Amino acid sequence: MSHGDHSRDPCPYVILNDFGGAFAMGAIGGGIWHGIKGARNSPRGERFVGSMSAIKARAPVLGGNFGVWGGLFSTFDCAVKGYRQKEDPWNAIISGFLTGGSLALRAGPRSAFGSAVGCGILLGVFEGVGVLMNRMFAQPIPQMQLPEQAPASPSPAVA
Amino acid sequence: MSFLSGMFGGSSEPIEKEPSASAELFNSTTFRSNVQPSSSSSSSASSSSSSSIPQPPIDQPAVPTQTAPTALDAFGTAFDPARLHPLAGLSENLELLQLDEDKLNDIEGSASVLPSRGWTDDLCVGTGTTYLSGLLIGGMWGAKEGLSRPLGNNPSMKLRINSILNGCTRRGSFTGNSLGVLAIFYNLANSSLDSIRGRHDTYNVLGAAALSGAIFKSTAGVRPALVGASIMTAAAGAWSAFKNTV
Repeated sequence: MSHGDHSRDPCPYVILNDFGGAFAMGAIGGGIWHGIKGARNSPRGERFVGSMSAIKARAPVLGGNFGVWGGLFSTFDCAVKGYRQKEDPWNAIISGFLTGGSLALRAGPRSAFGSAVGCGILLGVFEGVGVLMNRMFAQPIPQMQLPEQAPASPSPAVA
Repeated sequence: MSFLSGMFGGSSEPIEKEPSASAELFNSTTFRSNVQPSSSSSSSASSSSSSSIPQPPIDQPAVPTQTAPTALDAFGTAFDPARLHPLAGLSENLELLQLDEDKLNDIEGSASVLPSRGWTDDLCVGTGTTYLSGLLIGGMWGAKEGLSRPLGNNPSMKLRINSILNGCTRRGSFTGNSLGVLAIFYNLANSSLDSIRGRHDTYNVLGAAALSGAIFKSTAGVRPALVGASIMTAAAGAWSAFKNTV
């Protein structure tokens, strides 16, 4: 964490990666979700057709929503990182605020501000949970050198 | 990094001497990879023989350089399995935390503009690029449509901007979503073909393009699916030819 993330591309290129990752996640997850939903909502005998049409109609839209959100978030994240020259949880909160605000911009400034605050709070909760998890799992490191605490080591790897 | 040290400390617990455990561990592994124990024993034998036979100017500089590896090597071989075991068990988990150049895609012929770390990276970057370009193209299309839409006589600026933005969001999201889904199909097919055939070449690209075009138009019937497959194949062939000439 202190050295940043070596498993990802450097900043301008990671935007493409995040766009694609978010879009693929939304589209594939939306395909599964709307496939099941469409099959459940169609009459017996037309379940496959209903599932297919629901997937075709809704999965790309959901993917697009996810993709725009993730890509915009990543863009703002890179911009905030470049401006502040730091990496801390505030980056994600600020970029979540900006993302929510700019996505709701057409609904008026009041609605945009509300959405921005909502997104910022959501990202703040995510980051807070991440920091808490990090602190919880990072605490027992000096004692983990002891042989008795070997089973504690797999749980940070999962997190 | 804290996870790394935690896992490292947790799994290297069979070693008794804690403070210098990691340093000695790395030393022993590097020396083992460089110097074979047979050569070290022969060198020690040669050093003992050279001490009996006086050949100082050639062998004497060689003896001190060899003594440090041989001593550590003899020390390391005694503890060898216990020392090597935690590293051997960690070798997959270490890459997860710090994968830079060594985890790159090693299927031959698959080098591209950005270095790739496997099929998920390919999928993400390819889909992202295609989706973003689809958004841009569709957005420009929609902007042109919104600019030229008749809005009655004497439309205000706000109305015009609203029309442009409506066109952008309608056309842009439609084009971007379609191209993005197509890119997901293409990248999945491409990576599957890569891993099946074990290499990446133009036939792979063409096959993946045909497959993705057919899947994309598969719900419209057989004929549109074939048309879609041929269009995608032609596009991929043109792109490959363009890439080969450049």
